[in-house]
Amino acid sequence: MTKLYFEYLVKMTLLVLSVYSIYLMALITWQYIPANNEVAFLVFKDHVIDKLYYRVAFFSHVYISIFTLIAGCIQLLPWVKSTWPKLHKHLGRFYVLSILLVTAPSGFVMALYANGGLLSQISFVIQALIWWMFTWLAFDYIKKGDKTMHYKFVWRSMALTLSAITLRWWKYLIVSTLALGPMDTYRIVAWLGWVGNLLVVEIFLYFYINPSEKETFGSD
Amino acid sequence: MLLVFLVSCKTDIKDRNAVLDIEQGTDTTQTTANLRETTIISDNKYAAFLGYYVGQFVPTIDVHEAKKTVYYDMEEWQRTNKINISIDSIFNTTIIGHSVVAGNDRPFRGLVEWDEHIKAFKCEVKEPGTDKYDGSFSFYLYSNKINGTWKALRKIDINERNYQLTKRKFSYNPNQNLEVSKRYADWTKVVEEKSTQTIDDEVEEWIDQKFASATDAIYSINASSQKLTKKDIENLSKGDLLIIRNAIYARHGYSFKSRPLRVFFDAQEWYIPVHADIKSQFTDLEKENIKLLLKYEKNAVEYYDYFGRG
Repeated sequence: MTKLYFEYLVKMTLLVLSVYSIYLMALITWQYIPANNEVAFLVFKDHVIDKLYYRVAFFSHVYISIFTLIAGCIQLLPWVKSTWPKLHKHLGRFYVLSILLVTAPSGFVMALYANGGLLSQISFVIQALIWWMFTWLAFDYIKKGDKTMHYKFVWRSMALTLSAITLRWWKYLIVSTLALGPMDTYRIVAWLGWVGNLLVVEIFLYFYINPSEKETFGSD
Repeated sequence: MLLVFLVSCKTDIKDRNAVLDIEQGTDTTQTTANLRETTIISDNKYAAFLGYYVGQFVPTIDVHEAKKTVYYDMEEWQRTNKINISIDSIFNTTIIGHSVVAGNDRPFRGLVEWDEHIKAFKCEVKEPGTDKYDGSFSFYLYSNKINGTWKALRKIDINERNYQLTKRKFSYNPNQNLEVSKRYADWTKVVEEKSTQTIDDEVEEWIDQKFASATDAIYSINASSQKLTKKDIENLSKGDLLIIRNAIYARHGYSFKSRPLRVFFDAQEWYIPVHADIKSQFTDLEKENIKLLLKYEKNAVEYYDYFGRG
């Protein structure tokens, strides 16, 4: 009973936190409407902002990824999938295509010019590459009908999708406790944001999907 | 625990009310000269008495007793400001000059009388009275120092002060770095945020902690002599950026209106308040650095403490 209650509490907390985080992400996106080259993040991009391909990458990333994020989060709700399997399929398509065609490639371009030098650039480049790969694999496995592997790679993909949120929470945590310099903070969260999520997901997958349970995920 | 963040009001993406501290007299975009016209009509024999006399402008009342203390970094600030009394001309029995203190640059004129006994001028001068903080000075002017008292013309918080000033020459030195000064200058320490406490009906004001985030970088980075790059400043705190930028103004002898900045720069031995307006005096290097620093400062005040990233 207490275990159930605890699980419920964790789930509700995560839900509230996700909704609030998405709200914050939407506010961040809102800053770039209408498109403006001299606002927020772009203030420090004056050396690349005059390049058309960077602007295309940046604005497509900002405008599309908020919907990728929302779609991904809805997909994680088990009752959505069971109640509206069609919605799950369509949202899933949108999620996968938006990442494969827009947000991961644009993330890659932005990663090449990331603030904080080589250290953060490497982090964001790796992230863009494996984000694309995990998402592709999740898509590929479901086409083949392998739901367990689909489930695993969807979670890995979401770990990277959610790094947009977690890296900002890490940033908030670091500046409010350690008060590190802004660029040091940036370099740290560039890694923490997604490595932390992947670790959590791997642990989750390891303990929750043991071989005997495999079939459970096969049934809708 | 995570819910705590949700409740805290600081988790918005940015500070929408963030305001940059830009002193009125330091706008780099204005290029017209705004310098005081000084026509020095003076008897040559008095030339030795002309110039800047600099020192502390000290309240005569016990600030603590009068409950007018301001605290900074757990230390009391006795409401003392650095003042510069400039003697511009002496002609017959008339003396003309101006005082620069706390962001005010005010002309004065009055009468002098030579005291052969102590080899000094006894001076009684008055500011126009059109400014809230205008007052009348009465002092002895020696060739290397001034001793005297001041009375406010209107009713203000602290209406009597005295001063012992020494003659100083001012010259703009772009290579002047900040000195590690003990008093009020340890901005690297973490102090409490600004608050007013009421203890036994006594209202005590605590100075804002926004500069307390400064690091040792303020002693090594000089924005008047080196061209700053992104790399130099991208990792600096709000406090660093603010002090590095305002140090440019201080080198030009800018008299700060902002109280914390004044307290900070007054503690620098080399600093002399000379102008309340230095708009036209920046070098091109400084203008570029100010622009760059402001860009990072704006981002820091808006985003540093928040969820969003600039």
